[in-house]
Amino acid sequence: METQLIIAGQQIRSRFFLGTGKFASYQIMKQAIISSGAHIVTVALRRIDPQAKEENILEYIPKDCIVMANTSGARNAEEAIRIARLARALGCGRWIKIEVIPDNKYLLPDNAQTIYAAEVLAKEGFIVMPYVNPDLADARRLRDAGAASIMPLGAPIGTNKGLALRELIKILIEEIELPIVVDAGIGRPSHAAQAMEIGAAAVLVNTAVATSDDPVSAARAFSLAVEAGRLAFESGLSPIRESAQASSPLTGFLR
Amino acid sequence: MKARVNGEEVLLTEETSMAAIIARRKINPQAVVVEYNGVILTREKFDSVVLKENDALEIVAFVGGG
Repeated sequence: METQLIIAGQQIRSRFFLGTGKFASYQIMKQAIISSGAHIVTVALRRIDPQAKEENILEYIPKDCIVMANTSGARNAEEAIRIARLARALGCGRWIKIEVIPDNKYLLPDNAQTIYAAEVLAKEGFIVMPYVNPDLADARRLRDAGAASIMPLGAPIGTNKGLALRELIKILIEEIELPIVVDAGIGRPSHAAQAMEIGAAAVLVNTAVATSDDPVSAARAFSLAVEAGRLAFESGLSPIRESAQASSPLTGFLR
Repeated sequence: MKARVNGEEVLLTEETSMAAIIARRKINPQAVVVEYNGVILTREKFDSVVLKENDALEIVAFVGGG
């Protein structure tokens, strides 16, 4: 039986978090949320385009989900704080994924600016979920700033490269008592399972699901992999060995 | 009278309330949040705020994102 994930005192039903970007339609996104059983879903905040006649995405997110706004588009702490406050004013609660990205090629986060934004937003009562490079000293600073979890990238956003930063993420899992959520770069269910097997608390996927041919099935596949990986972690698997070890008895041979 | 809405300059010929700006653009006020000269404006104030020369508005909503 899998242990419950608790973040900021709240029980989270699924260790699979789903991003809502890049889906062909909000209807498909909704079906993917349902098929995966995701409890936490992320959204972004943008200027409205009156010509586009966009629908309200919130109408397509099941009411029992936690809507976590991200601060995408922010290039520094000040912009992230501004976006977080606007998101809260929209009335979807206090969960915020702090994402400060000054670089357009690799979309790598700026840890220093993220830490500053985390300090400010945690004091304002936000449940702060910072997206960061997996650095132990910075993760400690974020913990001290009041972050509810740490969300290191597995690989750059949208690359589907998997756990490129595996060893550094492992260190965060071992050393930081907060839930570690691997966010970005997870491109295959096997990557998600690997993250969970090393003890990640959860995994956040968007691109790999949304841009697959069948996002509803892909979402379910990732969600199952997350569950399998978690169960494997909790079952305490035996170590990997260099030489063979027989699984059948080595006595009573018919020779 | 000139104002900026979502970064674009708009010409307003008469006194215009925030509620009128929202209605004219056929925006559902429940789905947006407005920042008025850098300050978040709650929906209850949409009727009472009347735009002035050089005011800056940001009207934002949630969209898909990761």
